Order: sequence, then C-alpha cells, then structure tokens
Amino acid sequence: MLSLSHISLTIGEHRILSDVSCSVDKGEIVGLIGPNGSGKTTLFNVISGFLAPTHGTVHLRGLDITCSSSSRRAQMGIGRVFQNFGIFREMTLEENVLVALEALPKADRTQRGNLRKIAGETLEMVGLQSHAKQKAGSLSGGQMRLLEIARTLMSGKEVFLLDEPTAGVSPKLTQQVADLILQLKKQGKTILVVEHDLPFISHVCDRVIVMDVGRVALTGKPDEVKKSKELRELYFGADPTT
Amino acid sequence: MQLLANALIAGSLAALIAGGLALVYGVLGVFNMALGQLALTGGYIAWWLHQVAHLSLFVSVIGGLISGALMTWLTFEVFVRPFYKHHRFLPLVTTIAWSMILDGLILLVFEERPRSILSGGKSMIPIGSALISKEQCIMIILTIASLLLFAWVFHCTPFGRKLRAVVQHESAARSLGINSAVLHRVIFIVSGVFAAAGGIFIGIDQNLSPTLAFSLTIKAYAAIIAGGKGNIWGAIICAYAIALLEQLLVGIHWFGAFYVPAGYQQTVALLFIIGILLLKPSGLFRSVSRTA
Repeated sequence: MLSLSHISLTIGEHRILSDVSCSVDKGEIVGLIGPNGSGKTTLFNVISGFLAPTHGTVHLRGLDITCSSSSRRAQMGIGRVFQNFGIFREMTLEENVLVALEALPKADRTQRGNLRKIAGETLEMVGLQSHAKQKAGSLSGGQMRLLEIARTLMSGKEVFLLDEPTAGVSPKLTQQVADLILQLKKQGKTILVVEHDLPFISHVCDRVIVMDVGRVALTGKPDEVKKSKELRELYFGADPTT
Repeated sequence: MQLLANALIAGSLAALIAGGLALVYGVLGVFNMALGQLALTGGYIAWWLHQVAHLSLFVSVIGGLISGALMTWLTFEVFVRPFYKHHRFLPLVTTIAWSMILDGLILLVFEERPRSILSGGKSMIPIGSALISKEQCIMIILTIASLLLFAWVFHCTPFGRKLRAVVQHESAARSLGINSAVLHRVIFIVSGVFAAAGGIFIGIDQNLSPTLAFSLTIKAYAAIIAGGKGNIWGAIICAYAIALLEQLLVGIHWFGAFYVPAGYQQTVALLFIIGILLLKPSGLFRSVSRTA
C-alpha cells in the first residue's frame, strides 16, 4: 500500500533521515517508535508531503508520489493526525468535520450525498454529537484527538499517519482511541502510528519499526521488539538486565 | 450628525481596504505595503476609462476593479510568492520596493494634479441635520453590502470554511486535501479588488492624488494592528473607529477656543495604534493565531 525506498533528508548540515526503507501493507497497523529526535515525525512529514526528501522515493499503491504536494497526497488517500492537535479551534465540531468532507474531490462529495448528515454521524461515532455546535477549542485534549481521528476516517482516507495519538489523553480515552484504531483496521485501513506508549503499541500494532538517529534500527512483531536488547538500550541508555 | 455621516463615509473607505489587508495577514501572515498604491491604481484606471476613454461609469468601475485584481495578482506572483515561504517578513521589504516603483509610475502616467472620476457638482440629500451626496449614499450601501456578502461567504459557505481552516491550522487544512496555495492567491487578489474599490470610492467622492497612497496604507495598518492582527472584523470596526476619531478631532470646536487644523487628521491613525498597543499590545480583539 505504502512504501518508502532509501529515504534520506538533510536540512542544512544536519542529516535527519538516512536511507530509510520500509513498507506497510493494506490493512496493517505499524508502530513507529524510537527516542525523541530519532526522525519519526520527520518521516511522517516526508510521507504526507510537508518535507521533500533529499534522496529516495515514496510510493502509494505503486504510484510514485514523491513530488506530489501535501494536499494532492491527502486527496489520494493519505490522512494525518497531528501531534499538536490538527483541529480548527475557532470552528464548531460540525464545521471541523464538514470542512474535511468538503475538501474531497467533487465526485466523492456527490456520491456521499448530505454532508451535514455524515458530519452528525461522525460526531455520534465518537460520542461528541452533543457538542456539535460548540467551538472545537473548548474540548479536552482527548476529545480533540477523537474528533481529529474521526474526521480523518470520515474523509475517506486509506492510509492514516497518527502522530502520538495518546499524548495528553486520559487512560479511559486512550482505550477509546485504541478501539477506534482497531475499528479502522477492520475497515481495511492502513495505519502508521508514532507512539511512546509501548503497551498501547503492543495492543494495537501488527508490526513495529524502531528508529534511531534517522535510520531504521529494528523491525519485527511487537512482542519480539519489546524483548529485544537494542530497544531497551535505545530507550533506557543501557540494557537494565545486564 | 454631519461628523457621524463623514465618519461613516471615511470609515467605509478604510474598512474596505483594511478588511482585505486583515484577511491577507490572517491567511498568509504577510504584510502588503503596496496596498495603498494598488488602491490608487484601481481608482486612476476607472478615472481614465470614464474621463478619457468616455466609457460609462459602470463599465469604468468594473474596469478599475479588474485592473486592481490584475495588479494585485502581479504583486503576488512577483513580489510576494517567491519570498514568503522563506520568511514571512521578506514581502514587507519587497512590497515597499514595489510601492515606491508604483508611486513613480502613477506620478508619471497620471501626473500630480487631482483627478475626479465624476465631473460637475453633486446633488446632496439631507438626512437629519447631515448632508450626504447620492454617490456617497450608494458607496456606503455598497460597502456595507460587500462586507455582509463577504461575511456570509466567510462563515456560511464551503469556500469560507476552507479559508478559515487555512487561517487556523494550515498544515491540518493541507492534510485534509485543501490546496492552500490556491487559496493564498485568491485571497491576495480579493484584497486587491477591495483596495481598488476603495480607490474608486476616493475618485468618485473626492479627488485622486498620487500622494494619498501612503496615508491609505497607514490607516489600513492602524486598523488591522489595533483590531488584533488577522482579525478581519476587528480591523473593520477599528477602521470605522479611526474615521470617527479623525472627524471628531478636526470637527469639534475644542473648549470653545480653537479647531485642530485638518492637516493633523492624518496623525489620528498613528496615535490610535500607539494608544491601543500601549493599553492592549495584542490589539482590541483577539488575534487569529497561526499554527503553521
């Protein structure tokens, strides 16, 4: 579904990403973990078109999208949930969903029919329908996250890039976010999730990619990666069992 | 009453220009320092079409608005777009340079003498104890109608929602598939059309003069800074407030002893910015924050 081939990115004299290659299959949930500054969010920026790689290519469904703009990639099916909440705080919850639906290509919009009704259903799905006419800025962090994920889901995206979806979210809402992600998987969506919460990653992900200093350090199933010495060294500085 | 009527007329002119400028700042985060000159260009083209080419007033006004749009588009493509992605302050310098070039061109082509789009006297309509010309009435109504239309587009249409999304979180808007580059261009051109309408307003109500550009720009900036940068409605309210203060300054017989000379009217906008910023550095109304 999504594949990255030999991605490198240099900004000024700093090499941010070095020869990153990986792929995500349709319907797969892949966790992207690693210490702060390891290049996870930068990799998301490259995939979603906010940064152009110095070398390498990005393919979506076999199509080379390396030179496509971020809005074009979104229209091709890549959706993103931002670490710092990508919601429009001065707009109501209903408008937040409507604007996502209205940004769809015309054929998709026509096919969907009444967009306001879909916006209502989207809010109902995450239990926010009673807040529909409130400004999104009045929501709690967890509610903002749910709104953002639900909005991305209803805008018909096929690939989801979730950047720390549980950051600043209460344990109860974290479970709701996890349920929503698993619901996306059931619908055949492809998901890449950046997260520091390892139990959360183990719970939702099929596979984990560990990044360090801009390169892929390790990849495997969550349980295998959790037990690995390299991961413990990356996160804790040294293997605590030795 | 006459002071209020004059304030409404001057405020409508300033609101047209400041509203467009505030929108550009909100969406792109850049200042266009050539806006006064672009306003005058629209006014002078309308004057030329009506007084020299002898086209009807309606066609001349449309011609002035189109020329304003084209000149603003040129400004965007040559003096703003290549620079603002690198640093949002660069267009400040490039548009100052463009404003100086335009000043020279306007002086060269249209000369220094005052130009009025309408020749002959104006019929005045008494409203209460105030006298307003028919043209002024039409212009106030058109300005308020344009601002209401704009408010409807901005708050109630899909285009307006996309625009507000780009203002509030550009990266998130782009990640939803909204083409912010196209919106930037459209908004910049819309601000130019509003400015050209302001220039035509001056040409019909008073006289066009090449020296007016700087004061138009300063008043518009005073309104957007005092109104909370990027807050369109704050800018429009402040444009009317500045116009009212200007009229009060020169229209009142202070302490029954003296009138302030009309030349000091221009200082009101500058004093207004300084006063507001001292009291409330973020502006009277909440600024629109840019997160991307």
